[in-house]
Amino acid sequence: MRWRLAFLGALLLPNLGLDPFRGGLGVMLRHPLGTDDLGRDALLRLLLGSARSLGFASACALLALALGLLLAWQGRRWHSALSALRSLPPLLFLLPLAAAAGGLGLLATWVLLGLLAAPHLEPALRTRIETFRQSPAWAAERCLGATWPSILRRWAPWGWQQVAALFPSAWLTALWGEATLSALGLGPGPGQDSLGRLLAEELPRLGSDPSPLGWAALAAVLLLAWTSAPGKT
Amino acid sequence: MDAVTKRLAPGLLVWAFGLALAWGLPGSVWKGATPPPFPWAALFPAALAAGTLALAAPLLAWAGGPGLASRRPLALLEAPPDLLWACLLLTLWPAAWGPPGTLAWLLAFLLAALPGEVRWLSQAMPSEYPFPQAWGQEAVSRVRRTVLLRLWGRWLAARFPIWLTATLVLERVLGLPGLGTDWFTRVALRDRPGLALWVGVLALLWLLAQPGKGEEP
Repeated sequence: MRWRLAFLGALLLPNLGLDPFRGGLGVMLRHPLGTDDLGRDALLRLLLGSARSLGFASACALLALALGLLLAWQGRRWHSALSALRSLPPLLFLLPLAAAAGGLGLLATWVLLGLLAAPHLEPALRTRIETFRQSPAWAAERCLGATWPSILRRWAPWGWQQVAALFPSAWLTALWGEATLSALGLGPGPGQDSLGRLLAEELPRLGSDPSPLGWAALAAVLLLAWTSAPGKT
Repeated sequence: MDAVTKRLAPGLLVWAFGLALAWGLPGSVWKGATPPPFPWAALFPAALAAGTLALAAPLLAWAGGPGLASRRPLALLEAPPDLLWACLLLTLWPAAWGPPGTLAWLLAFLLAALPGEVRWLSQAMPSEYPFPQAWGQEAVSRVRRTVLLRLWGRWLAARFPIWLTATLVLERVLGLPGLGTDWFTRVALRDRPGLALWVGVLALLWLLAQPGKGEEP
């Protein structure tokens, strides 16, 4: 979880400078993947875009988990309503919504992805919370009249562990959600470089023109998918 | 009100709200765009894709058993997002063959969906150790068959929206009209009747995927 959270800082990094007179350069020692049409170093762009995608996914996963925790704590009576919300995959709703709105900004994507992913995390969080709620420790806390701040202080590390266990799946949902939105031209605008944005730009020419940046973006997506795949159990 | 209806009532309320929202949206009239006709031509390929998946995934899960759920190669095949399969297909498609058509879409769809579905079914199967493994191979395959037959209908209903999402992404990247695009366009254009029909279908699928009487929710 920590390495994923470390990428949050990438959201604050400035954009690369433009140099249109050095656009479209091929592979060379100074630019290992060449430059894009606006003269930005392709390798740097790939690294920055990937880091921003990972940072955005981390921010989104944190929001989804916070909302999921709230739903799991409060939503016992609304089990069936949450199951109805879960039956719609986040992207099935988000893609047409983004098209209707003419594309979504970074903040709107963050909020909507977090909101739509939260019901999917609720069952796993509820299972963990219910175990805690039925434990003697929780009964003791209530009998002894412990205050909320003191309960939070004691149980925050345990709560963090539970959240951390579900963080990778929430993170992947957010990562692929944003990448798909951006690759289809419905995500954050050109001001926010991301893996999806790189794919959207490079995909049309990949088939005809060997573009190192496009292939590298595809390889980055595949690498991220494979490193996040569950291991042999 | 019996226990099942009582349990499902909040979910039905959510769908009723979705339906009301679909009807209450400002319609396409003021936007000056007419809703597209339903893509009847895409129904056969969609049925073929769903049919292939509905047969191939349970067959593979039956052959592999619950052990498949922890196989690393299957997890690696399942891990890439739908987007990557669509991009790879578009990139590797020989230009001389013209733009990728329905067959290419079907291939990409099966590549994107089949590993995940096999894993989903394998994970839902009960462990076979010590029984029915101790009773021999015939008992094992009989138990697998019974479990999969019981799961089949509900699995289809529960997974259809996931397949719709996969096909939507593939259709948008490959530029093919289909069921996913139809849902996409009706939301984007705020076509009230079409959208209400889609919400009704999704609600019905949700209802079909719910556990019945005497089953744990």
